Amino acid sequence: MNEKYVKAVRRYHRNLTFALGVILLIFILIPLFVKSPYILNIFILVFYMSTLSMAWNLLGGMTGQNSLGHAAYMGLGAYVSCMLITKAHINPWLSALLCMVVVGLVAGVIFFPCFILRGPYFTLVSIAFGEALRQFIINSTFFGRASGIGLPFKKGNSFLDVRFTSKVPYYYIGFVMLILVYLFMKKIERSRMGYALRTIREDEDAAAAIGINPIRYKVMAVVVSAMVAALVGFFYASYTRYIDPELMVQAKSTESVLPAVVGGAAYVEGPLVGGLIMIPLSEFLRAKYSAILPGINMLLYAIALLAVIRFRPTGILGWYMGSKVKNFVDTVILKKPPVEWFEAVEQERSGRKEA
Amino acid sequence: MMEKTPIIEVQHITKRFKGLTAVKDVSFTIREGGITGMIGPNGAGKSTTFNMICGYYPPTEGKIFFRGQDITNKKAHEYTNMKIARTFQIMKPLKNLSVLENVVASCYFGHAAAKNNREARERAMEILQFTGLYEKRHVLSKDMGTPDQKRLEMARALATKPELLFLDENMAGLNPAETEDAIRLIREINASGVTIFLIEHIMKAVVSLCEEVIVLHHGEKIAEGTPEQVMNDPYVMEVYLGKKEAPHAQSN
Ligand SMILES: Nc1ncnc2c1ncn2[C@@H]1O[C@H](COP(=O)(O)OP(=O)(O)OP(=O)(O)O)[C@@H](O)[C@H]1O
Ligand SMILES: [Mg+2]
Repeated sequence: MNEKYVKAVRRYHRNLTFALGVILLIFILIPLFVKSPYILNIFILVFYMSTLSMAWNLLGGMTGQNSLGHAAYMGLGAYVSCMLITKAHINPWLSALLCMVVVGLVAGVIFFPCFILRGPYFTLVSIAFGEALRQFIINSTFFGRASGIGLPFKKGNSFLDVRFTSKVPYYYIGFVMLILVYLFMKKIERSRMGYALRTIREDEDAAAAIGINPIRYKVMAVVVSAMVAALVGFFYASYTRYIDPELMVQAKSTESVLPAVVGGAAYVEGPLVGGLIMIPLSEFLRAKYSAILPGINMLLYAIALLAVIRFRPTGILGWYMGSKVKNFVDTVILKKPPVEWFEAVEQERSGRKEA
Repeated sequence: MMEKTPIIEVQHITKRFKGLTAVKDVSFTIREGGITGMIGPNGAGKSTTFNMICGYYPPTEGKIFFRGQDITNKKAHEYTNMKIARTFQIMKPLKNLSVLENVVASCYFGHAAAKNNREARERAMEILQFTGLYEKRHVLSKDMGTPDQKRLEMARALATKPELLFLDENMAGLNPAETEDAIRLIREINASGVTIFLIEHIMKAVVSLCEEVIVLHHGEKIAEGTPEQVMNDPYVMEVYLGKKEAPHAQSN
């Protein structure tokens, strides 16, 4: 009897690995067949915007703290890394690490006081933070004022300097960043921190009653989230080779929210699903209609957001989880055994470990 | 011989909400290892007293001691590390998480926090078996009825491995059979060495469980003693029941 469970569970894991492998392979192979820089650019955009949205989702989805300042963390990350590269001549990879540390610290110091008060203060301060930072940079000669700063253009490619003439290396770097951040978020979700954040989202009093310090965990979440956003900022700067304060406008922060909300903010995968759909759509609309009707993509973005919130507040994944499609995928394609079988196997394993 | 230090000693606590004095100069002790009950009519200040002891808010005046240590100003989140756990009268399930995840979350915290996901899940499974929620482990907690949500409150508190457990009307809304189950469960928890303090309206439960009962009325302690003594107290009979006859305690 137990043999049967073990076999079924193993087969399911094999099918799942295979399915994920195929998807991974498709993404790895795309640059070999797609040569258009325009299309590659859209993929790169999907990768880094979805990563930014995953950063947002750690706060907005898992912790229930709505941030509207993620463009600012990303922008600050981009600026810090550019300054380190151009003024201090630090290696770009190292600058990525340093800018994450700096932005994490800044976010921690700014938002710690907001969490002592309960309520919407965090959201308000996150908006104010972005705007204040933007104004500061526009007025600072050191940061290049409104005209921004560029990274040095040199001939040739250099992995060490994260400088490439083709879009293909950026495609792969962006893809690896997306996967790593996804795995990291997945790890958080199952960890003590993930349970703390979700408990806080559901009820702060209940969280405190089981021994969670809500302030401490909310600060942790904002620091980690801002660090990931800073990483995206570093990637963006290395890719576009030029940054300006427009990077931090409020609309950009909203753009980082959409993939998560449309995809399903309760799921770590939400930003991936939402990003894969919303970002190409937005780009397509921008390319097609922006000459005729400027801002049409933002308008449609807004409509999409309102529609999701009105009709599917749990997002695409929220719908999928209870749908026949999932049932079909699970039973017919992946051959997923009932959950009790997994538990039986799990129990068996832990029993053997103790013996 | 000197008597053992009580596990909890409450000294002259008062709680004022703006103009309203919800609890007025209340003192009592909780004996280690026993089951102590608190009764009183609606709005008597029971939950307020309970919330002060559990660090949900501090008393306006007075002091609270845990095994002789002053814990008056401890924060709510520090309690599970002192091996004290509580439930809420108005249940606070983690609505969008499954029953299992609700309990796993608790296993990750407190003085005996699980070190990894496997340990947390294993311990959660044990608690679910013990509290009779095992069959419902994959149900979202918001989709359960009151009796199961009450059980979940208890399961989440137990998952932090307390030595002192506070239960606020954990049997309200249960039918007689479910009440019997709950009584049995509480006895079992107590037998495993957990001191219990409970607020209850169901007299039958109080009489069959508690050795000590404290009666509150309009924020003041009006009586304490064995259930027997308390219920034969003429003042309790008068104000608590509003009529001059004993509560239906003997009806079990
Ligand atoms: N946070 C609060 N702010 C203001 N007043 C409060 C607050 N909490 C309780 N009260 C008031 O304090 C009084 C005592 O309330 P409490 O909840 O302690 O009563 P209780 O004995 O638990 O009643 P019940 O049996 O209905 O649960 C009530 O009049 C209530 O309205
Ligand atoms: Mg009450």
